[in-house]
Amino acid sequence: MFTMGIDIGSSSSKVVILEDGANIIAGEVIQIGTGSSGPKRVLDEALSKAGLKLEDMAKIIATGYGRSSVEEAHKQISEISCQAKGVFFLVPSAKLIIDIGGQDVKAIRLDSKGGVKQFFMNDKCAAGTGRFLDVMSRVLEVNLDDMAEYDARATEPATVSSTCTVFAESEVISQLSNGVAKENIIAGVHQSVASKACGLAYRCGVEEDIVMCGGVAKDLGVVRAISKELKKPVIVAPNPQITAALGAAIFAFEEVRGANK
Amino acid sequence: MSRIETIISELSSISNNPRKAMEDYKKETGKGSVGVMPYYAPEEIIHAAGFLPVGIWGGQKSISKARAYLPPFACSIMQSVMEMQLEGVYDDLEAVLFPVPCDTLKCLSQKWKGTSPVIVFTHPQNRKLEAANKFLAEEYRLVREKLETILNVKITDEALNQSIETYNENRKVMREFTDLAANYPQIIDPKKRHAIIKARFFMEKSKHTAMVKELNSELKSLPVEAFTGKKVVLTGIMAEPNEVLDILKDNGFAVVADDLAQESRLFRNDVPSGTDPLYRLAKWWQEFDGCSLATDAKKSRGPMMMDMVKGSKADAVVVCMMKFCDPEEFDYPIYYRQFEEAGIKSLFIEIDLETTSFEQTKTRVQSFSEML
Repeated sequence: MFTMGIDIGSSSSKVVILEDGANIIAGEVIQIGTGSSGPKRVLDEALSKAGLKLEDMAKIIATGYGRSSVEEAHKQISEISCQAKGVFFLVPSAKLIIDIGGQDVKAIRLDSKGGVKQFFMNDKCAAGTGRFLDVMSRVLEVNLDDMAEYDARATEPATVSSTCTVFAESEVISQLSNGVAKENIIAGVHQSVASKACGLAYRCGVEEDIVMCGGVAKDLGVVRAISKELKKPVIVAPNPQITAALGAAIFAFEEVRGANK
Repeated sequence: MSRIETIISELSSISNNPRKAMEDYKKETGKGSVGVMPYYAPEEIIHAAGFLPVGIWGGQKSISKARAYLPPFACSIMQSVMEMQLEGVYDDLEAVLFPVPCDTLKCLSQKWKGTSPVIVFTHPQNRKLEAANKFLAEEYRLVREKLETILNVKITDEALNQSIETYNENRKVMREFTDLAANYPQIIDPKKRHAIIKARFFMEKSKHTAMVKELNSELKSLPVEAFTGKKVVLTGIMAEPNEVLDILKDNGFAVVADDLAQESRLFRNDVPSGTDPLYRLAKWWQEFDGCSLATDAKKSRGPMMMDMVKGSKADAVVVCMMKFCDPEEFDYPIYYRQFEEAGIKSLFIEIDLETTSFEQTKTRVQSFSEML
């Protein structure tokens, strides 16, 4: 039996096709999100990779910011529940999830069975999200994928104190013009992201194992900064951008199995 | 349309259109309205003068002009109140009663841009001393004097005591309503519940009491049906705009009790008995507890809410955090920890009157529903 999870975020679209609730047949990501061609393209790509058709799916569940706009889905489940489900499937020892996506940050505490015990999301603004890193990467002329490497070479992390992304951008520009090394600025940017996420984690209650997911988890500089702030190791979920889609596909499998019992 | 639907529709219409309520009152009595800013102003003094006290709670609108006068981190009630002041929305009011229990109100009270006269008064924060009652009674005496001058009426002790009784009757009926509403969530959904309560800001209180009393009586005659959704207690300053309440409803939540400054905090205590009406009103403030705006060294808000959860058989608490409200933000970590220790689940959502996009709130509420 095949089930599908579709996670339409603010800045990326993800699809997971799951066989019998256990084997990931396809896990595709396109870096544009809701309201764009991303959802349709990623769906087509995942089906093509799996060599399957939409009709082969026993159930499709959508999640993410754009979940209500996915016509192919039979049901919508929030990304918090889906992240918990997907991460717990991959890392059963997970107790705290830190999920940093394009425009929000979430800290999710799990119970011993992987159920959501508590969660907090960023409020007031999008500081400390993927969008913040996008802006910084552009100003610094460093690809997002290369930021972790720069961070690893930092000798004296700069301070990026502004909460507002636009003001932080100005702060970074002024540091650049003062000759501060990009490596040190990037380490400062990562610390700034980490401090926002850790604020939510502290509210939630920090308990190991701590697992990071979401697109920003691919930036190991942020992962290191979070680990340093929490003074605890942080595990990056395998393929961290697709964990919510995976969770949705698992929910879909469980619902079909439950209905067939 | 059933009688219940008719009453709810009338109260919702009043709650959605305060201006019409003011005009109707003027036509009916020949008297105008006096604005009442949040929080905990002695409306009874205005009522005793024969004028209509009208609650000023801002509204859902985008902010532009107010930015010239307020920092962006002022709460959205005050942002929208300032915006509407600048648009002349409150200029038909005979006066505005202005308590100042938070820093934002204190500052805003000194830069009112409307044309109506503003009467500012202070609630004492060292509340449990007898001196606090005397101080506040004196403040209320000054409020009465100023109102008498502006409105050109004499407000007698007798009229004021009578108004206190009218208000206490409304408080009693409202407490009965919120208890009943918890049993009939299929009829009284979160938005209707809010509208019925909010209408009391724009109606002469005995009229509101009569309508809610009839509603209560109609509700009581109906059988109580099983509710399959989840029951929650709301806490915070207010649960607006209506989209927030719709999201709760769409996700199967019923509001079975509240600890909102705009709702039950106003009527959970009666004004105590006595002979001096101003002292009675002052004493209400001393006896009032569980609000971030009233200093409470014992921090009883958490235990009070836990009792509320138990009493209303609620599944959880929804914290409606007014964006940039310092007093509420300071209270939150204290009662959140108490909830955690007691195993009470809670959801934190942000309230911003300016917002028109509710995707984050939808995600939070849906996640919470799935979590419960």
